[in-house]
Amino acid sequence: MKRGLSLQAALAAYRPDAELAPLPEQIDPDRLLSFFHPDHLRDSVTTLTVGPNAGAHCQRELADLLQAEAVIDEVDLAGVPVTDTDVLVIGGGGAGCAAALAAAEHGARVLLATKLRLGDSNTVMAEGGIQAAIEPGDSAQKHMQDTLRAGHHAGDPALVAAMVGDGPEVIHWLIRQGMQFDQTDSGDLHTRRAGGTSAPRIVHCRDYTGLEMMRVLREAVAQHRGIEVWDQHPAVELLSNERGQKCVGAVLSSLADRSLRIVRTRSVILATGGLGRLHLNGFPTSNHLGATGDGLVLAYRMGARLCELDSFQYHPTGLVNPPYLSGKLVTEGIRAAGALLLNAQGQRFVDELQPRDIVCAAIIRECREGRGIHPDVGGVGVWLDTPRLERSQPGLLERQFPKLLARTRVAGIDPRSEPILVYPTLHYQNGGAVIDVDGATTVPGLYAAGEVAGGIHGRNRIMGNALLEIIGFGRRAGIAAALSGHDRGPKKITLEHVNRARRALALAGLPLARRAPQVLPPYAAMGKDS
Amino acid sequence: MTDSATPGGGTVELVIDGVAVRAEPHMTIVEAAWAGGVPRVTGVGCLEGVCGSCRILLRHGPDVSVALACETFAEQGIEALFLPAPTAVRHQYELTDFTDGWDIQARFKEIFPEASRCRHCHGCVRSCPKGIVVEEGIALAAAGRFREAGEAFLECVMCELCDTACPEQIAPAHVGLFCRRITAFFHLRPPNLIHRLEELRQEPFSSAGEKESS
Amino acid sequence: MSRLNANLLHPCQRVGDNLARWREAGGGEALRLGAANPAAILAAVKDADLRGLGGSGFPVWRKWEAVASEAPRPDKYLVCNGNEDEPGTFKDRLLLEETPHQVIEGALLAALAVGANRVVLYVNPDLTRSLAALQAALARWHNTEFLQLAGDALGQAITVELVPSSGHYIGGEETAALEWIEGKFPFPRGKPPYPAQYGVHGCPTLINNVETLANIPAIVRHGADWFRAQSTGRGTGSKLYSLSGDVLHPGVYELPMGTTLGDLIFVHGGGLLSGKPLKAVFTGGPSNTLLTPADLDVSLDFDSLRERGAALGTGAMIVVSEGTGMVKRVAEYARFFAHSSCGQCISCKTGTATISRLLDRIDTGRGTAADLATLESLCRMLPGTGRCHLVNGVAQLLDSSFRHFRQEYRQALK
Repeated sequence: MKRGLSLQAALAAYRPDAELAPLPEQIDPDRLLSFFHPDHLRDSVTTLTVGPNAGAHCQRELADLLQAEAVIDEVDLAGVPVTDTDVLVIGGGGAGCAAALAAAEHGARVLLATKLRLGDSNTVMAEGGIQAAIEPGDSAQKHMQDTLRAGHHAGDPALVAAMVGDGPEVIHWLIRQGMQFDQTDSGDLHTRRAGGTSAPRIVHCRDYTGLEMMRVLREAVAQHRGIEVWDQHPAVELLSNERGQKCVGAVLSSLADRSLRIVRTRSVILATGGLGRLHLNGFPTSNHLGATGDGLVLAYRMGARLCELDSFQYHPTGLVNPPYLSGKLVTEGIRAAGALLLNAQGQRFVDELQPRDIVCAAIIRECREGRGIHPDVGGVGVWLDTPRLERSQPGLLERQFPKLLARTRVAGIDPRSEPILVYPTLHYQNGGAVIDVDGATTVPGLYAAGEVAGGIHGRNRIMGNALLEIIGFGRRAGIAAALSGHDRGPKKITLEHVNRARRALALAGLPLARRAPQVLPPYAAMGKDS
Repeated sequence: MTDSATPGGGTVELVIDGVAVRAEPHMTIVEAAWAGGVPRVTGVGCLEGVCGSCRILLRHGPDVSVALACETFAEQGIEALFLPAPTAVRHQYELTDFTDGWDIQARFKEIFPEASRCRHCHGCVRSCPKGIVVEEGIALAAAGRFREAGEAFLECVMCELCDTACPEQIAPAHVGLFCRRITAFFHLRPPNLIHRLEELRQEPFSSAGEKESS
Repeated sequence: MSRLNANLLHPCQRVGDNLARWREAGGGEALRLGAANPAAILAAVKDADLRGLGGSGFPVWRKWEAVASEAPRPDKYLVCNGNEDEPGTFKDRLLLEETPHQVIEGALLAALAVGANRVVLYVNPDLTRSLAALQAALARWHNTEFLQLAGDALGQAITVELVPSSGHYIGGEETAALEWIEGKFPFPRGKPPYPAQYGVHGCPTLINNVETLANIPAIVRHGADWFRAQSTGRGTGSKLYSLSGDVLHPGVYELPMGTTLGDLIFVHGGGLLSGKPLKAVFTGGPSNTLLTPADLDVSLDFDSLRERGAALGTGAMIVVSEGTGMVKRVAEYARFFAHSSCGQCISCKTGTATISRLLDRIDTGRGTAADLATLESLCRMLPGTGRCHLVNGVAQLLDSSFRHFRQEYRQALK
């Protein structure tokens, strides 16, 4: 018999006007995290044995991929057509598009290759908004402090300073690309306050911020004369010079028929996003289908140093019900607007605007200690009390959160009268490839931007910094790549780095059976033939 | 993902991309395709109805419609077919080419000459998985009411099913996006942002951290 | 061949708008006979077993009876459908250009037969010479006694009006024609109601193809037995075949209904260009099925072709020889039909656009096995889902080309 309440019983007991007890005294955040945050689950972390991060902690599922054999051999490259370009951008989300546009603005010929369709990304799903310190009482300095503090001071201050300093200009640039934001009556950009921050700083377009951003950037890229786009062409390997020390291109594989193409280039920008579809620790994910951590695998094999590989963000409010939307997000914006979290007993248990890792751990504690709510089809969760929010601010949900209403309408749920069952969902890779303020990785010729890059968010990211980071660092990487040395190009394009990695695996006695990158999760690749 | 138990039990039989599939009724077409081992399903992205990739043609008895596979549920006897990705953008413009806000309408007519040729077949409206009043939006755009037209397309996910549906090749999704972009480009001038940009122009942000690294 | 151009295209009929020469050859005689005994017109057409020659092959008398049995509300319409726009079909334009008086006489006889007081000559404006000839001919008719004669027989005045169509292919669909005549975009209507009950402005309306109506004067003049004897096989009368493609002498041939495909191509068309072997024939305009060299013996009439799983359609025969790429050909036709879809039915517009797109992809060497599989699924899903037959035609064409030339599609894949 499950502990907690069934969904029906909890719904029957729920009253949007019930009196709430004061918030109970909170335990020490570090203790809460170490007991309940998924990063700290027993056996979830292992130690890397080969590569630039040998000896570092890493989530087990990721380690298996970082220490795997390449999917191609030299023999596969015989007769493969070669395309030359100045800058190759791998990834068609927000960071990839921003990088491509910036590189093209600076005179480079750009090829953007994307695994799925241009714009299929986590960016398009982002709901809450984007951080930029623009309000009178706010400053870049405060933004920086909030970012570092929420990240448990593991972030690189230079990168954080670069990002927060870019904030207002990033919004300006997005408006110039044709992106709309919500305004107040006086014409100011409307701001909301994110969990774990000291000032209202989130600018947004209803709860469609990511969609608005992505469709504008996609159109700008598609319209740009200097950018060529290859849809459904995931990268399966990078290419190195004859010494295996500089990135000089990539091997792409058509999703439609698996045919290979070689791209030879001065600079490669990895903008491949995260890895939610690896379902770390068996968690559902908010991520899109292509988020399988390919960029980390390629960069690591090439010799790029990574960071914070044992730290992932679980978003507190993933949907539990209906099953097909399991793990999909309810925006943090709704808590920023005042929605509370309630356990099966109808009581608050955490300050809803604490940083995401704290709120997550608190929800997991409630469920594990028998104060969760269980639907028939499996899973467990707590209430996100949307009816109470609607009572206090009638019409708010429809005005500011149309996406939430549209999506739940399909599932036959009306959040204005029925609370939403939520549970943490694997959302974001806090770490990634180590970069400098130009987005350069530790491997010459290889840049990284967006979720695949690390060092900014430390060990926990606050809402709205992801959209800021992808544009800010996407543009930084694009500009740096476009302006990087005009040498005569590589003498040879080789898989020397693959040989090196293979040797290391063999010497460490690791199995060579597993291959990576994965490209698609196994359940989606089922029945695939050629 | 797809292994949860079915309340009430009972499976349905349907055809996806020509392959007979047995599925649970709460499954979406995407989940049913995966569970049924349908080969070569590549047009799938966000799985929550905002990326617009999983466009399907759906036959339900004598009725044919279009939809997004991640928001459509398995039903007895239906046939679903994943459609190829939309064609490349046909209408060329770059916002930076626009210098004068007074000639937007003239430029719009040059870029989207088809927009004023709507024959009111309603194909776009019937094709839209987001319930957008596409035809009205196009009429507003053709009348130069770009802000209102753009607002009509707020929930557009650029699946471009309306573009495929339009016999006059209006490309409604791109018209809607043009309207939104041009509105932001010419009319979004928020004082709080402009003031902060001006402050930063006078005194750029620097921090101890950045100084160390540069 | 003595049976070539024996009737509709007989030199004495091909006088353009010259009224005097047409009357010398007996023009107008049928109208006198018909005016004297309007009830006999329908009877003769029924005996003659005239079929709809615009492509349907539907017995003409049935449509006529349906319209004749309706009361005027307050008018009754006869529409002469000259929208001809299908690739490979170019017979109506010839009848209109060279024998406009014959067509007008046929239209008036039909109007008398069903009791229609408003005659609309509906002609594709892209056929400029046909339109001009018809206009000139009609002007001459207004100076004759014929309209008065017909009006007297009907008991009320008859008006004859020339309405240029929209030029859209879909405007040839009969209910689409009605919409255009009412001043609206030519969208096909849902059926029922049929035009016989609810046509132009809700009035009972008969709509027949140019070639169909052009046959009426001869039937009235010479009788049903004579008409039936014109055919060599099954079916009655003669047929205008539009022969095109890789033949030595393309053109319009009026021949006995039921002439074999082999005779049309090799006797009349002079055989294939450069003596290449025959590969296939797109029949009835390309929205139908394909014939192959095995079908050279088939009689080109409605029933014989139906037995081979094909259709006579408009009588268009597009001949292709070895050396012609079928994928490219089918892709071109599919593009035409996709472009012509009116947009009302998602199945048709999105379906044909997808077919056209995938065929183009395969034809240009970018197609994959998945694309071919998608096309096969579309052939199964689309038929019977549109308001009109456009989508069926495209699916049929594609399906037929798969049946005979699958190998060519496979070879074109990446």
